[in-house]
Amino acid sequence: MTPAQPVTADRQPLLALQGIRAAYGNIDVLHGVDLDVPRGAVVALLGPNGAGKSTTLKVACGLMAPKAGKVLVAGRDVTGARAEDLARRGLVTIPEGKGVFPNLTVRENLVVATYGGQKLAAIEAVAYERFPRLKERRNQLAGTMSGGEQQMLAMARGLASNPAILLLDELSMGLAPLVVEELYEIVAQIARSGVSILVIEQFARTVLGVADVAVIMLNGRVRSIGTPQEIEAELSSAYLGG
Amino acid sequence: MALLETRGLSIRFGGHLAVSDVDLDVEAGLVTGLIGPNGAGKTTTFNLICGVLSPTGGRVSLDGRQIGSLGTHERARLGIGRTFQRLEVFSSMTVRENVLVGAEIRQGWARFGHSEPPLLAAGGDPSLDEEVDLLVDRLGLGPVADTRVGSLPTGQARLVEIARALAIRPRVLLLDEPASGLDDSETHHLGDLMVQLATAGLAILLVEHDVPLVMKVCSHVFVLDFGQVIASGTPAEVQQNETVQAAYLGSAS
Amino acid sequence: MHQFLQYTIIGIPLAAVYAISATGLVVTYTISGIFNFAHGAIGMLAAFAYWQIHVGWGLPSWLAFILVVFVIAPLFGALIERLLIRGIEGASEVITIVVTTSLMIGLLGLANLVWPPGENRNVVGFFNDTKAISIFGVNVTVHRLIMVGVAVVVVGLLWLLLNRTRIGVAMRAVVDDRALLQLNGGRPGLVSMFSWALGSSLAAVAGILIAPTLNLQPITLTLMVVTAYAAAAIGRLRSLPWTFLGALILGLGESWLKGLIQTSWTIGSFQLDKLGSAFSPIVLLVAILFLPQPRLRSAGQQQQREHWKVPSMRTAVVGAVALLAVAVGVALLLNPTRQLLLVDGLFFALVSLSLVPLTGYAGQISLAQITFAGIGGVATAMIGAQFEPLNVIAAVAITAIFGALVALPALRLQGIYLALATAALAMLMYELVFLQDLIMPANSRQVPPLGVGDWLGVGEWSVSSSLAQIVVLAVAFGLCGIGLVKLRRGRWGRRLTAMKDSPVACATLGLSLTRTKVATFALSAGIAGLAGAIAGQTLTTDQLRFEANFPITVFAVVGGVGVVSGALIGGLMLGVLPVMNSVFATNAIGFFKVFEIPVSKLTAVLPGLMGVSLGRNPTGISPQIEAGFAPMLRSRVATIGSIIAIPIVWVLAYTEVIDGWTFLAVLATLLGLLPALAVLVSGTLASRRAAVTTILAVVGLAGAFVLPWATLSESSNAIRFCALVAYGVVVGIAATATAGLFEVPEELRPPSPDMIGITSPLGRTDAVEAERALGFREGELVGR
Repeated sequence: MTPAQPVTADRQPLLALQGIRAAYGNIDVLHGVDLDVPRGAVVALLGPNGAGKSTTLKVACGLMAPKAGKVLVAGRDVTGARAEDLARRGLVTIPEGKGVFPNLTVRENLVVATYGGQKLAAIEAVAYERFPRLKERRNQLAGTMSGGEQQMLAMARGLASNPAILLLDELSMGLAPLVVEELYEIVAQIARSGVSILVIEQFARTVLGVADVAVIMLNGRVRSIGTPQEIEAELSSAYLGG
Repeated sequence: MALLETRGLSIRFGGHLAVSDVDLDVEAGLVTGLIGPNGAGKTTTFNLICGVLSPTGGRVSLDGRQIGSLGTHERARLGIGRTFQRLEVFSSMTVRENVLVGAEIRQGWARFGHSEPPLLAAGGDPSLDEEVDLLVDRLGLGPVADTRVGSLPTGQARLVEIARALAIRPRVLLLDEPASGLDDSETHHLGDLMVQLATAGLAILLVEHDVPLVMKVCSHVFVLDFGQVIASGTPAEVQQNETVQAAYLGSAS
Repeated sequence: MHQFLQYTIIGIPLAAVYAISATGLVVTYTISGIFNFAHGAIGMLAAFAYWQIHVGWGLPSWLAFILVVFVIAPLFGALIERLLIRGIEGASEVITIVVTTSLMIGLLGLANLVWPPGENRNVVGFFNDTKAISIFGVNVTVHRLIMVGVAVVVVGLLWLLLNRTRIGVAMRAVVDDRALLQLNGGRPGLVSMFSWALGSSLAAVAGILIAPTLNLQPITLTLMVVTAYAAAAIGRLRSLPWTFLGALILGLGESWLKGLIQTSWTIGSFQLDKLGSAFSPIVLLVAILFLPQPRLRSAGQQQQREHWKVPSMRTAVVGAVALLAVAVGVALLLNPTRQLLLVDGLFFALVSLSLVPLTGYAGQISLAQITFAGIGGVATAMIGAQFEPLNVIAAVAITAIFGALVALPALRLQGIYLALATAALAMLMYELVFLQDLIMPANSRQVPPLGVGDWLGVGEWSVSSSLAQIVVLAVAFGLCGIGLVKLRRGRWGRRLTAMKDSPVACATLGLSLTRTKVATFALSAGIAGLAGAIAGQTLTTDQLRFEANFPITVFAVVGGVGVVSGALIGGLMLGVLPVMNSVFATNAIGFFKVFEIPVSKLTAVLPGLMGVSLGRNPTGISPQIEAGFAPMLRSRVATIGSIIAIPIVWVLAYTEVIDGWTFLAVLATLLGLLPALAVLVSGTLASRRAAVTTILAVVGLAGAFVLPWATLSESSNAIRFCALVAYGVVVGIAATATAGLFEVPEELRPPSPDMIGITSPLGRTDAVEAERALGFREGELVGR
């Protein structure tokens, strides 16, 4: 096993997927996906349902092993590494729609976040400072909070565990537009602090405002990559076909 | 009155209203679209119509008859067929066997009631084997007829589900994202097939993310968001609707 | 009134122990997702370990308690998780059930092996049971008070663990969302291991506390777990408070029923005093039947790792004829005592066969097949003392109807709940029915032997000989097997497979799952009933004990329950286990001079070890054997060669030209060589390798004939047996290896980031470092 990949380009991405093929059982979902998340950039991964966005993310965070292809973190091949190992090493993922443990209290949710190495007190401090509402509810079961508050809790974990790379899946799922806007404000802030972010979003327009690069996926392949402006023009045809 | 109607259909999961007060009309002889963003409640609506889930409120009627209290298999016997978004194929069997099982099960219960004529055979009542061959052929599955379904790509597995659902000779067919995983020519072929089935008298309710396909085959479209119908009308009307645009793309920030 | 009070006060400590045990079961199940059928056996083993340390080695009781509960039991639990449970992650529920069931059988065997039964072992309660205090005029020993006290402490500690420690929070987090815990950096594997350690610990506490009030008998202590199952079922396998309530109901109910019902109480000739022992299975059954209706299972929820080939009708018929020929051939070489073993083996095979449609085709499980066989046997015997084919048909019909009746309420159940319901039924039948004098006078009943000769009008043909039994059983197995293959290839078989693949899809096609399942259960029960009805044995209550059901299911699945041949192999293995006992009767191995273990006892542990293999190979043994011999079956020359060779060797043995041992040696060698033979004659082998293989084969076979196995240096049967098996295996492997059949599989392991140089969490500074290393210019670095 090679300890590190040779430097071939001067803009090596922090997270890179190369030729990823993935399948559930015998059913192929990804047919060779190439995707780079440059350091400090926000990459928006767009596309209609069933395009393979979430599967791409599962491969990136280690929850799913690809059939073929490579996952590189900071240029190093981590294909097949376990999700918990990657998480402990700074690759933080907030999965779709359920980034919290509903039957744990807010505080206990943050206890689980300490696996990254931070002290609970430090995590609590960051979380409650950014989201004062969570402090009020720290002994409440996460599942009994509103959708927006739950998503804030999930984001708080992402914030406080000091990630190098943040993967976000459908932050806006089932949330009111105002809350979504607020959440993306925070994403933008995190991005400004230098974290590389890969964000999957169905509501394309919402995310294009904060993205540096946008990628459209269709049927398990990357269809186009471009600046948000370029991609916005393509959106309607990809989504509504008109 | 439409062949399949839902009135005030609702279901609550915990504190969350997944489907709320949904009224749908699915007419015989037409393809009706049901679209909406992820998590809008489309598949849940399907589950309520075919009895996999029990609604917390509202009614489902088929041809004027209330079917809300019937079990899944009883509704199927009255003529509701469906496919699944997350595949529910019989993966250890071949394509042909999948369709055959559907036809055999239908033959088992059809003895007790009247049987619809097969939609795709132009007149006449074919034997079980002929009917299965016909369905396999019409869905373009001939070349893989003896392949185990578990080893097929998603797209073809979806076609198997359609063929299997047609094998019970339904009056209403609920299709849950049948085109996802199909290539352009397969999608085109599927669109033609849907139109043809509808012309033969079938009522089709189509959930699909491939919007061009929906625009092409549907005569009427319902748009679902947050479990509610936010718009309905002809494809063109729906496409121009600003609420729909916002629901799909989000409001520009 | 005083009596009532007395039994209430006795019931409460009992309830406390049940609560502890059930809590362990629930904790392990909710967190690791595996229901531990061996939970009681772990508690039993812990009680024995406690006895060994305290009484056997004389350490103080508190030290023994601490050692067992806090060191030995948790380590043991963690070990089980690592070795067994990891392997079955993602396997079907049938497999997980069978694996823990086989663990239970293995642990029972282990206890019997280390602590041979017969010796009187008593665990005395804490404070020697001498101290007692009076509560409401009832004397209560301090030990019983401690039972209640420990339960309270356990609940308190458990609450602290689950709410105040990170591992406890992680345990609850796994229940919520396993993947999310991973994404947080938690290790679900570790959490699962911890839950097994905790579960074992709790089982140990319960086992040690209950031991003084029960005899220190492996089976009694193990079966106490049924009560824990029942309490857990009341808690829906999730809720701890409800589980405690269940334990209270069970403790009090059992105490009242056992204490207050007099032996003389009967309804008609039905003895009511059996109700006390039947209370927990009754509660278990009722609790399961009132569980909320689960959603229709969809295909995606579990992986199907088992795939069985569907045999052709021709294969089925040839197989049935071959079975008859081989059974008779082997029987003719055996003395009457050994023939009885073959009868047993075929009986077990037929009972195992009843699981093929149910478990193999339809994916349902049952732990009550011996009970069904018992019903068939008892029914035949009660209908008439003489053998009549009509009686057998009637008995089979009764069993089938009974099976259908059982299935009806259990229908909406699947997996673990179905397993528990059938287990409860088996226990209920044993405690409440088979123990009745009416059903089994003097604890046994003679099933009329087959009067085939009388009935056919050829009275000369010895009707009750073992040989006739073997023929009848082999024919019955063959016919049922052909029938099942026919069924599998037809409409019903397709329907069952479809139902196994996706119940929800079947329902949307208009299939009534209820009717299909009832019919399958009836068929399965009917086949088992047939086995009981024609086995012609004297059934004893001991044979029909509740726990006798477990090995059948385990062996059928290990053999390969999706195919008829799998049931045959499973049943025969179970039947011929006693052969090992007699072969190794005189041998023993020492264990660091601490224990002296008769080798024959090791066979009791064997079934437990069987289950272990299922994690890696859920399809069972039969398909593997088939794969091994596939090249031979494809080669006409090799097939014909073996068809000619084996009868020749048999004739030599039958005419006593060669003795039995040589026959076995030649057969073992021949079977080992067959795959190589096929490759050899197929002509794809390089000539030099072909030559070597041929020489090896000829020399090996000649050796098998020539070596004086029977007189092998005055050695014992055991050494002889080992030697000839080893010989066959060595020759077979050597020849096959030169023929080039074995390919070394490459092992794939996921790399850990540690292995590739990432040793600490990647923070932002590391990212900068990484980028520097990658050659970025200073101005471009992240997080400046």
